[in-house]
Amino acid sequence: MSAAQPSDAKRLVTLTVNGLERSGVAEPRTLLVDFLRHELGLTGTHVGCEHGVCGACTVRMDGEPIRACIVLAVQAQGASIETIEGLADGEALHPIQQAFREAHGLQCGFCTPGMVLAVQSLLEENADPSEQEIREYLSGNVCRCTGYVGIVAAVQRAARKLAGAE
Amino acid sequence: MWCMLERVKPPRFRYCEARSVDEALALLAEHGDDAKLLAGGQSLIPMLNLRVARPAVLIDVNRIAELQTVETNGALRIGALVRQRRAERSEPVRAGAPLLGQALRFVGHPAIRTRGTIGGSAAHADPAAEIPCVLSALDAEFELRGGAGARVVGASEFFVTTLTTALAPTELLAAIRIPAPSARARSAFLEIARRHGDFAIAAVAVSVELAEGGAIERARICFANLADVPYRAHAAEKALRGARIDDERAVREAAEAAVGDASPASDLHASARDRLDLAKVLLRRALGAIAAGGSA
Amino acid sequence: MPDRPEITGTLLQKPQYVGTRILRTEDPRFLTGRARYTDDVRLPGMLEAAFLRSPHAHARIASIDVSAAQALPGVHGVFTGRDLAAVLAPFVSTVAGRGGVRPLTQHAIPFDKARHVGDPVAVVVADSRYLAEDACDAIAVEWEALPAVVDPEAALAPGAPLVHDDVPDNNFAHIEFASGDVERRFAEADRVFSKRFHHGRLSPAPLETRAVVADFDRSTGAVTIWTSSQTPHLVRSLLVPVLGIPESRIRVIADAVGGGFGLKCQVFKEEAVIPALSKLVGRPVKWIEDRREHLAASVHAKEVISYLDIACTREGRFLAFRARYVGVNGAYQAHPWTALVDPMTTAAALPNLYDVRDVAYQIDCPYTNRCMTGAYRGVGRTPGTTARESLIDDIARELAIDPVELRLRNCIGDAPSVSATGARYDGGTYRACIEKARAACDYDGFRARQAAARAAGRHLGIGFSPYVEPTAWGSDMAKVQGYVASEIFDAAQVTVEPDGSVSVSAGLHNHGQGLETTLAQVAADTLGVRIEDVRVSMGDTAVAPYGFGTHSSRAAVIGGGTVMRAGTEVRRKMARIVGHLLEVSPEDVEFRDGAAQVRGVPGKRMTIAEIAAVAYFGGARRPPDMEPALTSTRSFDPHEVWPNGCVVAAVEVDVETGGVRIEKLWSVEDCGVLINPMIVEGQTAGALAQAVGGALLEELAYDENGQLLAGTLVDYLYPSSTEVPPMEFLHVETPSPVTEGGMKGMGEGGLSVTGAAIVNAVADALAPFGITITRTPLSPTTILALLREARERRAAPTAA
Repeated sequence: MSAAQPSDAKRLVTLTVNGLERSGVAEPRTLLVDFLRHELGLTGTHVGCEHGVCGACTVRMDGEPIRACIVLAVQAQGASIETIEGLADGEALHPIQQAFREAHGLQCGFCTPGMVLAVQSLLEENADPSEQEIREYLSGNVCRCTGYVGIVAAVQRAARKLAGAE
Repeated sequence: MWCMLERVKPPRFRYCEARSVDEALALLAEHGDDAKLLAGGQSLIPMLNLRVARPAVLIDVNRIAELQTVETNGALRIGALVRQRRAERSEPVRAGAPLLGQALRFVGHPAIRTRGTIGGSAAHADPAAEIPCVLSALDAEFELRGGAGARVVGASEFFVTTLTTALAPTELLAAIRIPAPSARARSAFLEIARRHGDFAIAAVAVSVELAEGGAIERARICFANLADVPYRAHAAEKALRGARIDDERAVREAAEAAVGDASPASDLHASARDRLDLAKVLLRRALGAIAAGGSA
Repeated sequence: MPDRPEITGTLLQKPQYVGTRILRTEDPRFLTGRARYTDDVRLPGMLEAAFLRSPHAHARIASIDVSAAQALPGVHGVFTGRDLAAVLAPFVSTVAGRGGVRPLTQHAIPFDKARHVGDPVAVVVADSRYLAEDACDAIAVEWEALPAVVDPEAALAPGAPLVHDDVPDNNFAHIEFASGDVERRFAEADRVFSKRFHHGRLSPAPLETRAVVADFDRSTGAVTIWTSSQTPHLVRSLLVPVLGIPESRIRVIADAVGGGFGLKCQVFKEEAVIPALSKLVGRPVKWIEDRREHLAASVHAKEVISYLDIACTREGRFLAFRARYVGVNGAYQAHPWTALVDPMTTAAALPNLYDVRDVAYQIDCPYTNRCMTGAYRGVGRTPGTTARESLIDDIARELAIDPVELRLRNCIGDAPSVSATGARYDGGTYRACIEKARAACDYDGFRARQAAARAAGRHLGIGFSPYVEPTAWGSDMAKVQGYVASEIFDAAQVTVEPDGSVSVSAGLHNHGQGLETTLAQVAADTLGVRIEDVRVSMGDTAVAPYGFGTHSSRAAVIGGGTVMRAGTEVRRKMARIVGHLLEVSPEDVEFRDGAAQVRGVPGKRMTIAEIAAVAYFGGARRPPDMEPALTSTRSFDPHEVWPNGCVVAAVEVDVETGGVRIEKLWSVEDCGVLINPMIVEGQTAGALAQAVGGALLEELAYDENGQLLAGTLVDYLYPSSTEVPPMEFLHVETPSPVTEGGMKGMGEGGLSVTGAAIVNAVADALAPFGITITRTPLSPTTILALLREARERRAAPTAA
């Protein structure tokens, strides 16, 4: 197979989002977060800095947390993306979402989608994290409102819920 | 680097995916200086967003399978595209380069390491970054592939200056080889940063081989952010040879010798003088941690 | 000022919801990604804007060539300051009624020169933000660099470069105040202590940047503006003279807002520019500020240089305070509060909870070639508190008096009193909160642990910072803070709908404070309905009654008060209907759980739904003189409200690395009646965390040429989960006599004073080295420099 020729033309990007196949048009330079928000209308993922620092745009790509403001949409061709819109089961909040509510782990809500998805990955990797492990894992997701008090408590509560202990 | 305001979306570029190393090399040969390889993108894409990097062509190498292998055959060979998070979890990496395992948790945050690659960080050659520092400390070798063939260079040759390596515009970094550690090797990685996950104000990677009884047979020490390349502290390595690792005076003297002719930069977060002082503290503490427990 | 209705008394006799940790009703939409922030607004035909901003601190615009940009495909217009001046009147910023203040006239986009890095010079409208940035790249500006003035004290000196050619000394305001005989007290005092404290430059930096969408309808001449604002009505009122559109034809919507912290209680030029662009291009236009614009060109805050003198007896009794404050403004005035919002309120809080009658201060507020300064949570108080509390700790060390004891010795009594700066404290628990904080942190135990650690070469420290603080800004509070001519109130409407469900609409704004929950708690208790039957809405001027929005710790007190007042009227009307139908006195009707019950007669009962049906559709079943419907709109403008508290910080300093690790923070707060302790603690936690940032991490540093050194989040360091320590919250609950329901405001105290506690803890840890802290943030490099200087000072005599 000969090398593809580089082009700046718009192209069709097809991927799976929250379990459904979706397609949209993107320029090569279109950031994944803009593609999700503007092309696919999934505005639950937020944009906080656009240089890969604040973590607000965290989504999951092929099961791993990533920052959607520093990944190109074309790179997600064929990938499986999970966003905040896919977490609840109908009207029933996911245990992590429930825990955030019960522990007052959110205020303005802007960091919340990225934070919740990061927590989902944390708890998949480590079902019973210590406070230090929670703080270290989430240190890439900035929250300007809560002082992380409610967030740390929410992760601990979510861990208990997912273990069936609450 | 951050000179222009109000730019947060990449400028237009031409893009293609290379499916093999040969394809990537053919594209590099054709577009050369105008092209940039896109690996994990965790440094490059922020630079595109801020429009401080404006390549005409972006060659995405993420789907090249042959760059994503981890092999142990005496030495550890890490494909350039192995993601940092995968390396962090990899048993062969942890066994073959414990120092790298120790350092990776300081590299950004999990959602950066899931995309960022070992080779990408090396090729980006930021002197404040952890991975180049560790690779220098471990005397890693860099496999470069170009149209004219392959060559292997050592760390001291690979890292040329800030954001510059020995890679020619038509070459790519294929893999990194790390010599097998001695059974008597102990290592530690320590870093001072404003916050967890930030670039280091200063960091040290230390690997020592200890004789029976605790005498240092060989020490390898490298600092991050003390120079325009990872700074190998040869004077301290020499000073430590034969000393006992718990000999506080020897350790202190080695630390004093460690920063030698380094001339770090001053910035918002630390003065050059602070960096030199902190480097000495870090080296003492790293050796102390090894003496106390074998690793830090 | 007209007379205001007096407080109607304690309305919540047997609260069912107020005082409980009820979970937030607004949470599910935020947790599922359904909340609608301004960037989520999408309108047919909508275009996007990007501003071209100055890379220079101070430079004349010799020429701008926009032709290449205009010619790019997808570009719908490129506009310079001159183009916009043709359609937008300038903002005029001042503090009305205040002597010594020079009003500033500011154009939406300057057209003579740029006055700071980030000052806009042109704006592009294009199909997408990507294309708008491409067009910015294609605009050619010819600059003539001018000398920049960056140092605020140099700016005040004769001959300094002028930021505004018509402000000859660069000073926006010079204000002086004195009460008592300060100079005599200083002359007679045993000891005088002095300090210059330079508080660092911060940004509220909410995670959602500023954002505006405007849709001008040429057919009606009306405009709808979505904006990320804490004060939608204020935006509307202040845009009237700038846009030249009648207030009735401006609709401002602030739906979900991703944090404000005071920044978004100001009205920005961009909020005028985007509607103007929509009018010019005839299509809806969106502008989403990017993070770098936000850091360089929104609002900075809290950089004040304080010169403070305290006269005292050798026993440590404070006799007089004297201060000079230099508020380090940038090039413009944040509208409408101006840059005085920091130094003027810091000065008003000078005596705070210390019993000092002789107080004098001076304020200067120079322009510099930097981003303008404005409101950030705990406005003004943070720098002044840090300076004062840090000097008090210095005094304690110098006089060998325990710093907590020294504060208790000088603390005012609990009864309502008037401060030397004219503040009318409504009474509190000033000493008790300090004592409670001392007990909570096990002060004696800490001192023992500190001594043991010191012996082992480790450096622990503890710092206290007690306070009384202004909240619930109404007209009286604004006046005592220096805004002498402002009338400030809020209104809310409470409606029992025909089906018995309850709608509450308020002119406040909810951007994290949990107001949809707390106002529902108040409404439910006032009306005796179930909280799930109450829906609270805010943020749309087409729907909400007039209000000044959410800032200055005012929403719970004033919002709660308006809801109580309006709810009480509706309840009384319902009681009359019940009395009329059941032939009992309305006085004997009680409401609880959504039903009216005649006291002592179990069978006599009506549900709210039954009452509402009569109120709306019952015709002759209503009392003969009663109009239909069940709704009331009331306002509230409280007298001054002053909660109090004390924050304690315990730290460990690594003297080899300059690193500060905060072990723990304690907050004791008396904010009167707690509507929802969970939300109060959440607000406190957030404020404490921001203070950690200000004390240790965040700094919008400029170099001597006016280049911003912290222009990205790589350098402007938000505290993250690994830097913010565990916290403990303790409450004292003393109802305010001057508010409906006894609430006092809260939410800011943590940021006003925690930095001071951290500074004092670090100074305490480093006491053996004989250092004095005179600036924030306490970065490792600052601490290492302090230690180095101390070592050199000590080495000097022996070397000589």
